[in-house]
Amino acid sequence: MHLMQLCQWLYDSHFGTVIRESQFAFPLIESVHVLGIALLVGTVLLVDLRLLGVLMEEEPVSEVVSRVLPLTWCGFVVQVLSGVLLFWAKAAQYYENPAFRWKVALLLVAGLNPLVFHSTVYRGVSAWNEKHTTPIGAKIAGILSLTLWSGVIIAGRATAYFGK
Amino acid sequence: MKVKSAIVVAALGLITALPAIAHHSFGAEFDENKPIELKGVVTKVEWQNPHVYFYVDVKDSNGATVNWGLETDSPGGLIRRGWTHTSLKVGDQVTVKGYVAKDGSHLADARLVTLPDGRKVYGGTAGDGGPGDPGGN
Repeated sequence: MHLMQLCQWLYDSHFGTVIRESQFAFPLIESVHVLGIALLVGTVLLVDLRLLGVLMEEEPVSEVVSRVLPLTWCGFVVQVLSGVLLFWAKAAQYYENPAFRWKVALLLVAGLNPLVFHSTVYRGVSAWNEKHTTPIGAKIAGILSLTLWSGVIIAGRATAYFGK
Repeated sequence: MKVKSAIVVAALGLITALPAIAHHSFGAEFDENKPIELKGVVTKVEWQNPHVYFYVDVKDSNGATVNWGLETDSPGGLIRRGWTHTSLKVGDQVTVKGYVAKDGSHLADARLVTLPDGRKVYGGTAGDGGPGDPGGN
């Protein structure tokens, strides 16, 4: 099944239609999605700033990571759940939307960034855990995270201006 | 983080929020100097968030039929004014007073809609700052 057909099927479904035509459900799910940004991006920001050595520099990197990332994961779950519902409601329209396509692309890269970081640079964290300044690879991961998540948010907001 | 830096960052943050006071979005898409009145038959209704759209076949001065798209408020916004997803159906006669889109397409913002039952309802998006906007936000 072609992706567009799947999107059309989701759009035409009763479940998707009910959300799309709702008086309260759509705005509520959207609001949850905005709150989820605070939980996901607001917390990952703390880790990124530690990696860049500008926040909580006195704390070991592993401490900041172990305390903050569980919240980030909660935020991720909230975003996936609310995001799937929002997408389901208007799948066929979002499929055509250039801003939404950018959002998905940036989202994929934003997800790859920590995977790469945790399986490479972070493996050797014991060598620089207590240091204010982290290795260049950690700083790059931090900057990429800040940039990519900002891009996801901007593209997500721009979605409303490039379609219905 | 030093207190002074925090204050500077907060001040900069507040300044960047100033454009949000001008929340009116009507002018970004529609031209208030291009009013239009359209009378015709409804061909489609998209009762959806964030904007309900409906489409009307209108006969132009040459007798040719042109299909116009009309943008209105959200389902919640319209329901609070008394029109529901069954107020306008395919095949209904409708009269719309609105303003044409700036991009030159056959799209207009519906400010006043005369429904088939004769009721005149406001069709604009609340708070968009366009003609007739009662405020909101």
